[in-house]
Amino acid sequence: MEATHALDVRNVSFGYNGGLLLNNLSFAIAAGELIALIGPNGSGKTTLLKILLGLLAPNSGTVTLRGQSLSSYQPRERAKTIAYVSQQPALSFPLTVCELVSLGRYPHGGRGRQSAADTVAITDALERSAASDLRDRRFNTLSGGEKQKVLIARALAQSARVLLLDEPTLHLDLKFQLQILAALKRLCVDERITVITVLHDVNLASLFADQALLLSGGALRGFGPVTEVVNEASIKALLDVDLTAIAGTDSRPRYFVPRDPFSK
Amino acid sequence: MNRQRLHVWLIPACILAVVVIGLSIGPVPISLFAMSATDKEILFNLRLPRVLSAFLVGGGLALAGAIFQGLFRNPIADSYLLGVSSGASLGAAAAIVFKLASPLANFAAVSVFAFGGSLGALALVFYFGHRQGGFSIFRLLLSGLGVGLFLSSLVAIFMLMAGEELKALIFFFLGGFSSSSWDTTWVSLACIPLAALISCYFAPELNLLLLGEETARSSGVRTGRIQLLYAVLAALLTSISVSVAGLIGFIGLIVPHMIRLCFGADHRTLFPLTFFSGGIFLVLCDAAARTVMAPAELPVGIVTSLVGVPIFLYLIRNEAGDLG
Repeated sequence: MEATHALDVRNVSFGYNGGLLLNNLSFAIAAGELIALIGPNGSGKTTLLKILLGLLAPNSGTVTLRGQSLSSYQPRERAKTIAYVSQQPALSFPLTVCELVSLGRYPHGGRGRQSAADTVAITDALERSAASDLRDRRFNTLSGGEKQKVLIARALAQSARVLLLDEPTLHLDLKFQLQILAALKRLCVDERITVITVLHDVNLASLFADQALLLSGGALRGFGPVTEVVNEASIKALLDVDLTAIAGTDSRPRYFVPRDPFSK
Repeated sequence: MNRQRLHVWLIPACILAVVVIGLSIGPVPISLFAMSATDKEILFNLRLPRVLSAFLVGGGLALAGAIFQGLFRNPIADSYLLGVSSGASLGAAAAIVFKLASPLANFAAVSVFAFGGSLGALALVFYFGHRQGGFSIFRLLLSGLGVGLFLSSLVAIFMLMAGEELKALIFFFLGGFSSSSWDTTWVSLACIPLAALISCYFAPELNLLLLGEETARSSGVRTGRIQLLYAVLAALLTSISVSVAGLIGFIGLIVPHMIRLCFGADHRTLFPLTFFSGGIFLVLCDAAARTVMAPAELPVGIVTSLVGVPIFLYLIRNEAGDLG
């Protein structure tokens, strides 16, 4: 039934004025997996997200979205397949949560009266991201964690099968970080939605992600099951920090604790 | 929901009431039910075009302000953002100071040159705001600021040269409808509602742009085209309004905010409500402008700020929680 891969990236390079921001990336992402995109600041993570969304065209190489070349999608058709949750925008004007989430229906019509399908999708999206009780609040009045849930609900209302997120746990306290990632994980497990998210916390990545994609200097430094790819050596090479791995229990065998950089 | 149903019925009722008020009052009181031949003459050739013009200009300026605020995600943007007012002022000042003859027989020289000036300013703003690869909305904003400041200094030179005509210039800067005729009314009637309809049609795209360009693009909006379309629409709405009635301040800034405070920021409701409210507000202000000091007329721009600003401040004071 489903296309073999949710996203298939082949030999993608991208750059401006001769400088390469992404260098010959190739990887394929299976449907229903949660992918953690890890890399230092300036490593090309956001550029890669924009390429995967079709907002930037690669200089060379191809991106295939659910079996069809990404560049062949019309913008609205593409938006029905892949949705994006940006970092939290500063809204100058007081939209309500319900209004904001209903913007996710734009690719499905978006003009005139809300259809019955739109209403169902909006209610559904609010429920799946645990934001139903916020629907009549104004977005500006929400806490950071609540805002993040609402932004995810907007993307879910797009009914896309692939979800891309740019640091969804930024500025959130630990409880909300766990809530947000648990909600994303549920989408993968229960609905086989593919989630690709930029994460800076390797422990959260270890805890929730199926696969990790390590990026630095625009090049792929590792891609595979998070238990294999994320380890002391790979993180040292990627982020230049010393971590100690502590044995865990169940299927997540390791937790990482940073070492004090000043003690020898 | 109740609130929404309420305003849907309120709008036509308010427009009707305001039109009746606008037509009835003036230096010569007219009863709409018992009119003499002179009354009819006054009503159809003086007051009706004036009331219609005031409605369209008020709506146009308010809508242009709402568009610019949404487009630049900036609550202090107003209808005169892209240098339109400076261009129009320069055109009007040239017409007044040099006593230029109108190139179009049915239109006043001030209107024609103000319109020409505003279009000229816009051409400059878009020329400097453009770069290979398209428009950046923020480059356009800066270019508007620059062109506006430059043209304003030219206007200042004209004002120094004006002498006797200075008063006419000041009246243009404060705005008014004393020279309204059917000819200018037809032009606004043809253009302003059309621009308003197009603006309302693309409101969902502008809503998405509030969340940022990348979110909008990833949702399937062709953001470059939409931004350009709205910049042009708002600038044209302002140009037409300014050439009909001079520079009327505050409507483009305050009316959109009042509507947001009362009905929220969704452009699908904000645009039509702002248009109608701006129209209603300016018809009432104009009615006041021609009666409070009758037979002399107060420039309507003075009335809009004297009446509008206190209402606006009251709303801010009472709805502060909703400003986020």
